Amino acid sequence: MITVERLTKRYGPFTAVDDVSFEVKPGLVTGFLGPNGAGKTTAMRVMSGLTPASSGRATVLGKPYAALPNPGRHVGLLLDASAQHAGRTGREVLTLGAILMGVGKHRVDEMVELVGLTEKEANRRVRNYSLGMRQRLGIAHALLGDPEVLILDEPANGLDPAGIRWMRDLLRGYANEGGTVLLSSHLLNEIERVADEIIVIGHGRIVAQGTKDELLAGAGTYTRSTDDDALLGALAAQSIVAQRTPTGGLQVEAEPIEVGRVAAAHQIVLTELRGGDSRGLEEMFLDLTADAAREEVAA
Amino acid sequence: MITTTSPATAPVAPMSPNAESSLPTTAKVPSRLAGPRPAIGVPFTRLMHVELRKMLDTRAGRWLLVGIAAIIAIALTIMFFNDGGQHSFEEYLQATTMPMAIILPVVGILAVTSEWSQRTGLVTFGLEPRRIRVAWAKLLSALAVGVAAFALALALAGIAHQAAITFRGITADWGIDGLVLLGAGGYVLLGIAQGVGFGMLFKNTPAAIVVYFILPTAWSILGSMVSWLESAAEWLDMQRTMQPLFSGSLTGEQWAQLGTSVSLWVVLPLAFGIWRLTRAEVK
Repeated sequence: MITVERLTKRYGPFTAVDDVSFEVKPGLVTGFLGPNGAGKTTAMRVMSGLTPASSGRATVLGKPYAALPNPGRHVGLLLDASAQHAGRTGREVLTLGAILMGVGKHRVDEMVELVGLTEKEANRRVRNYSLGMRQRLGIAHALLGDPEVLILDEPANGLDPAGIRWMRDLLRGYANEGGTVLLSSHLLNEIERVADEIIVIGHGRIVAQGTKDELLAGAGTYTRSTDDDALLGALAAQSIVAQRTPTGGLQVEAEPIEVGRVAAAHQIVLTELRGGDSRGLEEMFLDLTADAAREEVAA
Repeated sequence: MITTTSPATAPVAPMSPNAESSLPTTAKVPSRLAGPRPAIGVPFTRLMHVELRKMLDTRAGRWLLVGIAAIIAIALTIMFFNDGGQHSFEEYLQATTMPMAIILPVVGILAVTSEWSQRTGLVTFGLEPRRIRVAWAKLLSALAVGVAAFALALALAGIAHQAAITFRGITADWGIDGLVLLGAGGYVLLGIAQGVGFGMLFKNTPAAIVVYFILPTAWSILGSMVSWLESAAEWLDMQRTMQPLFSGSLTGEQWAQLGTSVSLWVVLPLAFGIWRLTRAEVK
């Protein structure tokens, strides 16, 4: 359980996180989605007690992070997979964590196996790890203390599609056992594949939040029929807004069941009927990304 | 429609020796640890243990120690053959202590600055958010390394002196003044504490190392050119205030001078450095 209340973080005149409030619930995987520089990482660092907030607060398991006793046993952090001493072996990184948390060395072996690093790879120095291997090491480190909450910043970065699927399964299983997961990403399809709940952040502000279904729904209905003109007319008669799409078929601002009823009443044969694409979320996200890209160019 | 084979029957591709291992095909949920989650914080001894280990488990850390060992070995060998090996225990001790006093502060500096340069601070301060305890653990474990090193310096000097007596037939000279011993030990330990302090102050390896090594020299050069700096140096130049220790006697004023210089170069950087460390944003 993570609670963020009216959190603001300013760096001089720049506001990285602007009056953000949300809750991350146990038993779910919550995705924190936003373009690079939107404030995801800053918000996560404040939650982890590494960056002081300018105002507002964040609590994990009902307490400020710094008040958690032996926090590694309560919260698993992966804030930057590359933030590891290049001269240590992967196994040594995990061993140091295990000693500090007091979890015993057998846990290190278990985590190495869990993320599929071979014995040889675990004994290699982190300097020689690919980004994907660093991510796996970071996930192993986050899970080391058997935490109740996971805070993962861009954990899927550097993983291939199979790796993303593996992580989805892992986090799903973890959440099913009552764990709380917050993971960030700047890629919509990554979040779509992993998260149950989505919080979209842009320019430090939350622009949308809700369950994945809620956010992806509300996109109307896409349908094709043997006689689109007749269907268009029939829908208009029911004052349902619909329009042709450039690729053929109709985009209708109504639920599929209503479209089906109208078609049935007029005996129009439908060849396709489904919920519309997640254009709403995608467009909103693309706008955010475009803004960020423009700012980068301007800067 | 593409036919997919189930993972169980999929042929395993031969792996080249450098290929990265693939992730397991199915994700396992990590097992639960037995017992309740801890309600008490990380014990300080564990922090010390980890900080001590971190100083020695990297290549940089190990090479520094190997470097010190090599310099000591060379110094002792030269002394052993120079002048028929006729040197007192005190002189041998000087040879074993010097390299440690010069290089071990770098271990102290790296213990702090690597948290920022290698960005391991994200993990360190994530696992122990009470940063002041991390700061103390770093200082004390660095000093523990210093104590162990000084004990080793004593032992090596003793062995070298005894070897010279046995094999080169020199006259035994084991006498050593308590103050000289204090001076030699202090030289090593204060240097380390200063290194840790500078590391915390600068949070940056090159800056801390350069300032640590350049400042005393610059101070001495300036001191010889500017007269009022010369008199200030009597109170503030640690190189100078420590000298009387090695001659074996200190006046009250000399003790005060020693205390003043140690406050300036060791206590002050540490105090300000710890203050900075507890407030800095970890990135």
